[in-house]
Amino acid sequence: MTEYEAIIGLETHIQLNTTTKIFCSCKADSWNDPPNTNICPVCCGLPGVLPVLNKTVVEKAVLLAAAMNTEIQPISYFDRKNYFYPDLPKGYQISQYDRPLARGGYLELPMPEGYIRRINIHKLHIEEDAGKTKNDYGRRLIDFNRCGVPLVEMVTGPDLRSADEAAQYLIRLRQLLRWLGISEADMEKAHLRCDANVSIRPKGADYLNPKTEIKNVNSITAVRDAIQTEIERQIHEVEAGNGILAWTLEWDEDSGILRKMRSKETEADYRYFREPDLLPIRLEQAWLEEILSSLPELPLARRQRFIHQYNLPEYDADILTGERSLSDYFENAVITYGSDPKRVSNWLMNDILRMVNERGIPAGELKLTANYLADIIKLVDSNVINTSTGKSLLEKVEQSGKSPQQIVEEEGLAKVNDQDAIRMVCTEVLAEAPDQVKSYKSGKAGLMGWFVGQVMKKMRGKADPQLAKAILEELLAK
Amino acid sequence: MELYEFPAYHLVEMIKRREVSATEVLESTLNRIAKVDGIPGKIEQEEGTDQQPDRIHAFITLTADRARQQAQAIDHAVVSGEEVGPLAGVPFTVKDIFCVTGTPSTAASRILANFTAPYSATPAERLEAAGGVLLGKVNLDEFTYGSSNESSAFKPFPRNPWNTARVTGGSSGGSAAAVAAGEGALSLGTDTAGSIRQPAAFCGVVGMKPTYGRVSRYGLIAFGSSLDCPGPLARNVTDAALMLQVIAGADRHDATAANLPVENYVAMLEDNIRGLRVGISPDYFRITYPDPETGELHQESLSPEIETAALRAAGRLAEMGADIVDDIPMPHTRYGIPAYFVISRVEAASNLHRFDGVKYGYRTPDAVEDLNEMYRKTRGQAFGVQPKLRILMGMYVSAAQYSEQYYNRALRVRTLIRKDFDDIFDPNGKYRLDALLAPTTPTTAFPIGDVYGDSVLMQYADQLTVPANHAGLPAISLPCGYDKEGLPIGFQLIGPDFCEATLLRLGRAYELATENDAWREIKPAI
Amino acid sequence: MTEEITPETFEHLVHLAALELNAEEAQYLRRQLNNQLKAIHELEAIPLPDEVAITSHGVPYTPSITPPIRNDEWLPNSDTKSILSQAPDTDEGYIVVPDIPHTDLD
Repeated sequence: MTEYEAIIGLETHIQLNTTTKIFCSCKADSWNDPPNTNICPVCCGLPGVLPVLNKTVVEKAVLLAAAMNTEIQPISYFDRKNYFYPDLPKGYQISQYDRPLARGGYLELPMPEGYIRRINIHKLHIEEDAGKTKNDYGRRLIDFNRCGVPLVEMVTGPDLRSADEAAQYLIRLRQLLRWLGISEADMEKAHLRCDANVSIRPKGADYLNPKTEIKNVNSITAVRDAIQTEIERQIHEVEAGNGILAWTLEWDEDSGILRKMRSKETEADYRYFREPDLLPIRLEQAWLEEILSSLPELPLARRQRFIHQYNLPEYDADILTGERSLSDYFENAVITYGSDPKRVSNWLMNDILRMVNERGIPAGELKLTANYLADIIKLVDSNVINTSTGKSLLEKVEQSGKSPQQIVEEEGLAKVNDQDAIRMVCTEVLAEAPDQVKSYKSGKAGLMGWFVGQVMKKMRGKADPQLAKAILEELLAK
Repeated sequence: MELYEFPAYHLVEMIKRREVSATEVLESTLNRIAKVDGIPGKIEQEEGTDQQPDRIHAFITLTADRARQQAQAIDHAVVSGEEVGPLAGVPFTVKDIFCVTGTPSTAASRILANFTAPYSATPAERLEAAGGVLLGKVNLDEFTYGSSNESSAFKPFPRNPWNTARVTGGSSGGSAAAVAAGEGALSLGTDTAGSIRQPAAFCGVVGMKPTYGRVSRYGLIAFGSSLDCPGPLARNVTDAALMLQVIAGADRHDATAANLPVENYVAMLEDNIRGLRVGISPDYFRITYPDPETGELHQESLSPEIETAALRAAGRLAEMGADIVDDIPMPHTRYGIPAYFVISRVEAASNLHRFDGVKYGYRTPDAVEDLNEMYRKTRGQAFGVQPKLRILMGMYVSAAQYSEQYYNRALRVRTLIRKDFDDIFDPNGKYRLDALLAPTTPTTAFPIGDVYGDSVLMQYADQLTVPANHAGLPAISLPCGYDKEGLPIGFQLIGPDFCEATLLRLGRAYELATENDAWREIKPAI
Repeated sequence: MTEEITPETFEHLVHLAALELNAEEAQYLRRQLNNQLKAIHELEAIPLPDEVAITSHGVPYTPSITPPIRNDEWLPNSDTKSILSQAPDTDEGYIVVPDIPHTDLD
C-alpha cells in the first residue's frame, strides 16, 4: 500500500493592531460598533478621495518581516487589485503585487515530536481590508466599518507536511504576533485568517499534484480538522482511482465537513497596476534601524536561551516563553532572586500563571511585580516566613500593591523565633492536654506531631516548628 | 466697466477699501449670469442642445444663496475691520469634477447626477476659506473625458462665448466659457491632457496647469490619477497667480501633494524677465493626425495663423528681454497621444470601478435577478459612451497578457517624453531653458458637432498639451490674438518642475508688452 | 485591415467591465476601440532600450518634496450619516444590495 504525504501551504492575513486604518484616520478597530459608524469619505471610496499611508502600519509590518527572517526591501510599491464586490467600495483593493515590502524568509517550527520544520515565506506585503457583507433573505447587507483595516498578507511555501504542522505554524505565528505586539491575533475576531492549499503525493515523490484550497477557517482547531479531513478525502479519492480537482472548499465547523465552493478555473485577472495615488515606501536606513531597534528577542530564541542559560527543562522553557510578558517577568524575577532559576520557574508555573489566567492580564501588569516575587521566595529561603505564608503573601501583595516586607511587618507574619514565647505556648498546650501527655509518656511517640500542630495553631503558623519540637521534647522529658 | 468685468485682484482691493461691497460684485455677476448663461445643464434635457443656441450654458448648479451668504459674511468682516482673505469677495466657479460640501457633484454624468458631496475638495475649500464667493458648479465633458464638452450628460453643454456655434474646448469648457463671458472672475479647473489650457485657448482666457503635486487632488473626481492637475482659469495672469497661490501647497489628504513651500507668485510677477531663455521647438509646430479611413498617422505643419501668432508672442517676449532659442529638439512629442491613450485609460477604468450603484449615485430602477445584473444595468444605463470607451480600453490594455505590450511600454515612453524636457531644462545642458514656448492647440475652436464622435481625432486636439502632463511639468496658456474668424488663439509656456513663478512672470511680461495692442480691446460678442 | 478587438474579445471586455450595452452602442464602441488601437500601435515604432525604466509620475518625488508619512492618530469622523444618506438603499445602518449569485456548485 502506498504511503502518502501531505503538501500544505498557508496563506495568512494578519490584522495589525494600529490605532487607525491604513489609509485614513478612522480607528482601526470597530469590533461591536454599529454598522457604518466608523467610516469617512476615504474608506468609503467616495468620488475624489485619496489614500494616505499610516506610518505605524509600515513599522509593524517591518517588525514581522524581520521576525520572519525576510529580506526587507528598501523600496516597495502599492498596486491596485481591481475587482467588483460590494464590500470593496473603490472597486479595487490597494495592495502590493510585484514589489512587496519583503521577500523570502522562514519560520523554524519546533514540533512537539522533537524535530524542527523550516517553513519558507514567499512574500510578505501590506494591504487594506474590505468591509463585511451578510446575507439577509435574498439581499446583502454591507458594513464598511472594516474597510481599510491594515492587513499583512504572508504566504508560505508548500512546506508543511501534516495538519498538525499547519496547526503548529499558526500557534507559533500567533505567539509571534502577540510577542511583537503587532496584532491581537485573535482568530475568532478574524485578526488572523488562514486559507490552506492542500495536496498529497506518495511519500518521497518530488512532484506536486493538483491542490485544493480551503477557505474560511477561523480557529486553529478548525484548521487542523479541515486539513486532516481533506488529506483523508484526497487519499480516499486517489486510492479509488480518481483524480483530484482544483476545488475551492469551505469548512463547515459545526458539521465537520468540507463543501465545494466553485471550480477554480484560470486565476482571475485583477489587472494589477501601480497605485498612482501613493508614493513608494522608501525604508531609508535610519528609519529601518529605528524600527528594528525595537525588535525584541524572539520567543523561539528566548526558549533556547532559557534552556541553556538557566538549565530549565524544555517544558518550563516552552511555557515561560509562551507569552512575552510572562517571559520578561520570569527573567526579571530570576535576576532579582540571583540564583536557582528552576526554583523561580516553579513559583511562576504554579502560582503566577494561575493568577495571570484568573485575572486575564499579562504578567507585567500584576501589582505583584517580578521583584516582589523574588522577595517572597527569598523570605521563605531565609526562614523569615514559611512556604504557606509565602504563597498567601502572593495574593496579599497583588491585592494591596504593598511590598511583601511591609505586609509581613504589618500583619506580624514573620516566624516567631523567640524561645520564651514558644516555650510559654508549649507549656500551655501540654497543660491543656494531660491525657495526651500521659499517652506520650507511655510510649506513643507519634503524638509529638500533634503537640507541634497545636502549638502552630495557637501561634497562627508563625512559630518555627523545629524550635517548637525541641522545646516540647525538653518539657516532656521532665 | 461693470463690476463683473473687473479683475479679481482689483475687486479684492476695492472691497477691502470698501469702495464696493462683495454683495454688489456678486449681484453684478449674478445679473450677468442671468443674462448670458441661459438654462443650466440638466440630465433630463436630452434634446436641449439646440435650445437657446445663443447662450453660454456654463452652469450645472448655481449656488446663489450660498454665494449671497458668503458675500454678506465678507462685507460684514470688512465693515467690522476683521482680516479678510486674499480672495475676499471674488466670485468664482468650480468645475463640477470637484466635490464641494453640500453641492451636487456630478462629474457631468448621469451616474452622479443625484450625488451630493459630504466633503469638499482641498482646492475648493481653500478658495472659499480665502474669501472667494462660490457662484456654482460648471459643466464639463463627462468625467472630463473630452476636449469639447459635447460629451456632458448635462444638456445643453456649454458654448463658446466668442461664437456660440463653436465648442468651448474641454474638458474645463464650462470654466473657460464662464470666465470669458464674465460669469465669475476665476474658475477652478483640471488638466489631465490639456483640459485647462485647451479650453482657455479656445475661449481666450488664461489657464494654468501647475506642476503635478503642486495643488492637492483631494476631492477631484479622478480621471488619470498620475496626470490630473487642478489649476486656475482667469482673465489675466495676475488673477491666475493670485488663485494659484491660494490653492497650491501640501495637503494631509494627498500623499502626492508636494511638501514644498508655495512661493509668492503675485509679488514676483513683474520681476524682470531679462535673460530668461525661452525655447521654440519645431516638434511643437507640426501636427500629427490619424487618417479617418486607414488610421495612418500623417504629419503636417500647423495653420499659418496659429504658427504666426505663437512666433509673434515669442517676439514680444524677446522685446521684453527674454532670449529666444530656436530649433529645440523635442523628438518624442508625437508619442504623447498614443502613450496617453494607454496610461489614462488604465487609470480611468480603475477609477470608474467605484461607480457601481452600491453606495452613492445612480442605481438602476429596473428589477434585477442579482447583484451582477444590478452592476451591469447601473453602469450600462448611467455611463455615457465616453466613460464606456475608456473603461473598455483600460480593461483591454491592462489585462495581464497585454500590460507589458501596452501599459508598461507606455510608461516607458513617458520616461522618454520626460527626458526630452529634462534635457532642455538642464541648467548645465546644451539649452538651459527657463521655458518652452509653443502653440496651445493645433486649431482654434472647432464647430460643434464637427469632431465629436471620432474619439481618435478628438484626442488629437490635445497633442500639444499632453506632453506636459506626462512629464508632470507646469504650463500656462495665454491668449495671443484671433484668427480670421475672430476666434481666440492661445500659446503656452512649459517650464521646469515647480517653476510656476517663472511662467507667471513671463506671462505677465507678455501681457505688459501687448497691453496696448488693438486685439486686447476685443471682447466676446455674447 | 484585421480588427484587433473582435466581437468575442469585445464581449469579454464588456463582461469584465460590468456594462450592459445596446447593439448600436456596442458597434460604435468596438469601432472606436479598434481605431484607438491603431494610434496606440505607434508606440511600437519607438526604440526602447532596456535601461529605459517606467515613469509612474512625471515629477520625481525626491525626499525633499515627499510629504511626511501620516502618524497613527485617530481623527473621528462624526458625520457618517451624510455618507450613508447617499446610498440608494439602506436598512438600519446597513447598505443594502441585491443578492450575490450563489457560488456553491452542490
